[in-house]
Amino acid sequence: MGNKAALELNKVTKKYKRTDVISKMNLKVRNGEFLVLLGPSGCGKSTTLRMMAGLEKPSDGQILIDGKDAQKMTSYERNIAMVFQDYALYPNMTVYQNLEYALKVHKVRKNEREHRLKKIIATLDLAAYRDRLPGQLSGGQKQRVALGRGMAKKSRIFLLDEPLSNIDVQLREKARDEIQNLHEKNQQTIVYVTHDQLEAMALGDRIAIINEGKIQMIDTPDNIYNHPANLFVAKFVGTPQINILEIAYRKEQIYLKDKLLPLSVECLKKAALSDGKLHLGIRPEHVSVKREKRNATGLELPVKVEQVIDYGRYQQLLLNIGEEQNIKAITTNNEFKNGDLAYASFSEERILFFEYTSGINIES
Amino acid sequence: MNKLKESGWHIILLAICLILLLPVVFMISNSFKTLQDSYHSMLQIIPMHPTVNNYTTLGRQVNLLRLIWNTFFMATIVTLGKIITGLLAAYAFKYFSFKGKRWVYLVFVSTIFVPFTVIMIPNYLVISKINLLNTAFGVALPQLCDATGIMLFLKAMDKIPNSLIESLEIDGISSHKILKDIVIPILRPSIISVGAIFFINSWNEYVWPTLILKDKSSFTLPLALQNYISSEGGTNFPLAMALSTIMIVVPLIIYLIFQRYILNSISSSGLK
Repeated sequence: MGNKAALELNKVTKKYKRTDVISKMNLKVRNGEFLVLLGPSGCGKSTTLRMMAGLEKPSDGQILIDGKDAQKMTSYERNIAMVFQDYALYPNMTVYQNLEYALKVHKVRKNEREHRLKKIIATLDLAAYRDRLPGQLSGGQKQRVALGRGMAKKSRIFLLDEPLSNIDVQLREKARDEIQNLHEKNQQTIVYVTHDQLEAMALGDRIAIINEGKIQMIDTPDNIYNHPANLFVAKFVGTPQINILEIAYRKEQIYLKDKLLPLSVECLKKAALSDGKLHLGIRPEHVSVKREKRNATGLELPVKVEQVIDYGRYQQLLLNIGEEQNIKAITTNNEFKNGDLAYASFSEERILFFEYTSGINIES
Repeated sequence: MNKLKESGWHIILLAICLILLLPVVFMISNSFKTLQDSYHSMLQIIPMHPTVNNYTTLGRQVNLLRLIWNTFFMATIVTLGKIITGLLAAYAFKYFSFKGKRWVYLVFVSTIFVPFTVIMIPNYLVISKINLLNTAFGVALPQLCDATGIMLFLKAMDKIPNSLIESLEIDGISSHKILKDIVIPILRPSIISVGAIFFINSWNEYVWPTLILKDKSSFTLPLALQNYISSEGGTNFPLAMALSTIMIVVPLIIYLIFQRYILNSISSSGLK
């Protein structure tokens, strides 16, 4: 993976009637990288992608493609390929015609066309459908045709706007793997928009998490999950959601409301960086639940099991820790039922602390 | 109760059908009657002494093929003109952004509400000034563009997802290719049904061609028909009915050819 930026956003702002949909966004997409833009709906991720494609003009700032100012180029001159959420296949043309159309218009020679399309049809396994109309295809097949149309152009940059959201859940994983395989094979630069965190985690070399028009964090899936930059990122990524407890740091101790939480020295050191109130975050899989008290030092909260969701492979527990606070835990023991009393402890090295007002991760 | 309600509706619909069909049946029936019978028993559906004389007489008195050709030619030019200008304008309104687009569109659409009688005389004066009186082109020229068409095509284009056009733009396809290769094929049912309405309107047109066409050789069917029902044309009623029957044949054939599209687009308007 080269480090040269294939695509770059410099302080890009997009306004719709005075409201900033995107504000001063900086983003570098490296050559050959698979970058995922992840965020809730309406966060501006699609708008960002559309500005990259030249379908929307930024209100301010600069977009560079291969170091050149993209605003002076039309969508076509940017030499990008885009796959839309609804695939945008030409309904009056067969699969083959869909793949061929742009090449034909741009007078690519017949031999060359056939050669390219033959390869694409083989790669995407479309041979059986080449003479079908888009209306006769399933969502997954349509998506493959849309990908193929992008590939036919031989663009170096691929923009994908929620390409899997119209596909049945059962087929989604397969379609996701196909996209990943293609990327591994062709090493194109891909910018991929989704609101599905699992998709983002599975596909992205890096993930940019966007909320309210701003990038909250851009990093590898591992860092996003384990070292979230702020409360929003921590909450947005991971199912079930991370447990967030409002705590207070007083007299070198941590309190949950009035209850003392006996945490390790390392934890206290981190918490000491803030002043007073803060948020404690712990992911459900880092909460362990035992029936018996272990008599060990450290944090062990008496809890009551309020709800059990059995996923077969694991149980998701909703635990009441008193003070009208609930946390979620994941356990593979599959031994709990509603109303059970137990003890919960946290993997302390996994505890995250966030500043109370700004939500910034204290560690970072 | 439900069945009763249903039959009630059926009776009402049947009555409406009868009301709609009656004049047509009346027309066809009288075209096969002798002059005497037609006055004697005008409302009788089955002719007492059926005859094709009216048609043969008509064939001798007027050049039927010429009349049909004149009308067909005029209606075709007007229809094509309205479709082409309508599609081009609708495409521009839909996909181009230019200053004052909304206003221009409003002005265009407001012309729908200007009655024909208001623009009849100015149009006549213009056509006469540019020496197009008594020509088919003179009849067609003021009708080559129609805001109704623009509006209907624009509505039909709303059904084409924006992403389709955007994806074509990204692929560097020019607007005229997008229109020709993608938009028109997708809109084909709408174009045909709108075209059929334009064609029939133009086919039946009477007042405007009467003003422009003076020479009998350039007459259209409605003008020729006038000769048989006007004071000067005499009172040969069954002859007029025979010409009327001929007049509906061409639109009927066109309807039969394209009915699949016409019904389709009426029933599917509003679907994607």
